[in-house]
Amino acid sequence: MTHGHDSAVDPGRRFRIEADPESVEKGLVTLVLTLVELLRQLMERQALRRVEQGSLTDEQTEKIGSTLMALDARMTELREHFGLRPEDLNLDLGPLGPLLPYE
Amino acid sequence: MYAVTADSEDPLTGRLTGVGGGQLRAARAAGLTAIVGDVSEAEFGEFTLRSNLEDLDWVERTARAHHAVIKAVAEQCPVVPMRLATVYASDRGVVQTLRQRAGDLRVALARITARSEWGVKAYAAEPTDLGPAPGRPAGDQASPAIGPGAAYLQRRRAQLTADKDARRSAMASAQAVYAELCRLAVSARLYPPQSPDLAGRRAPMVLNAAYLVPDERAGEFAAAVTDLGASARSVRLILTGPWPAYSFVGGNDAAIRDEGA
Amino acid sequence: MASPGRAHGPALGDERLALVDLLDRVLAGGVVIAGDVTLSVADVDLVTVSLRALVTSVSALLEAGEPLLDALDAQEQSR
Repeated sequence: MTHGHDSAVDPGRRFRIEADPESVEKGLVTLVLTLVELLRQLMERQALRRVEQGSLTDEQTEKIGSTLMALDARMTELREHFGLRPEDLNLDLGPLGPLLPYE
Repeated sequence: MYAVTADSEDPLTGRLTGVGGGQLRAARAAGLTAIVGDVSEAEFGEFTLRSNLEDLDWVERTARAHHAVIKAVAEQCPVVPMRLATVYASDRGVVQTLRQRAGDLRVALARITARSEWGVKAYAAEPTDLGPAPGRPAGDQASPAIGPGAAYLQRRRAQLTADKDARRSAMASAQAVYAELCRLAVSARLYPPQSPDLAGRRAPMVLNAAYLVPDERAGEFAAAVTDLGASARSVRLILTGPWPAYSFVGGNDAAIRDEGA
Repeated sequence: MASPGRAHGPALGDERLALVDLLDRVLAGGVVIAGDVTLSVADVDLVTVSLRALVTSVSALLEAGEPLLDALDAQEQSR
């Protein structure tokens, strides 16, 4: 007996063990990119704090900003290459809630 | 064991079946009636139950069947629901429980009589033009000529601030809604926000509350939810119900009003 | 005696009952009774016992629905 779901997301996804090798690989990619995204956001926030504190020269600010901008662009490329949406790069930590904010 | 009602009630019509399609029956003791049904040991024995509870499809089927029984009984008389998978080896255990817990069960029964549970969930509203997107330059602020890197950082800061403000605003709205609705209820209980995977929505959930409302105030309660939903800018409200009073029989709720006898 | 629980007015059809709302209630609601199947099995928390201590300490930091990153960030900022 099957149930119709009108939600856009398959709730069974969370609990099923995917045996299909292709989706195992995709799951790993998603996890890796999520962690990279976490680092990127942490670095970005750290940089913004330093800028706000005024502890960086203009040149340093420009350099950090350019690096982060390039990193953001690269992440977008990678994400799109694997067919992932921004909201796919998140981890549900159960009772701790989501890892990253929803954009 | 699905639920408990007063001994005076006889809610089983004979057409109702429980989990796994089994027939339902009543077990009576201490002035109370327990609604019970047989389930297979293969599914509900201690070890298989544990692994079944990790299979969402099994949990869904079982939860819906469990709820169907409780809801059918609730349409006939006040009913105290049991948690899912309350399993005994035989009816003797059920009868023993009725005797041992008679006091608690009677208190719970009185508490939910002529009252229903309503669920209120709040989601943060979808962001509109709250701030510049990273791809576009920030506002009209006259900034001195700055490089693209520094400009990127400005945009990101504006975006993060806007997101944080929206989240704060949504949470504040959620708290205000929660408090306002408490005024119309006998009790309230907060649940953790639902996982977006299961709930199937992207916007963060900022309130997941259940309210115990006297049936004669149900219309007033629903109208209040509609009004609050219309006037709140930063959250979207969803009302579910009426439910049998699952959330108000386990002692985990914040009783707001003294219960009259 | 007042009439039995017939005040369940226009109820949502069961087929549209959202699973998540139902799970909140049947898994974390209801009367909790230790049947012959021990409660630790029938009591479905999707959290193991060892993690529970971490959850209770961290969740003091979090407001409802706040991402973990924001909570850690706020802690960092207050140093």
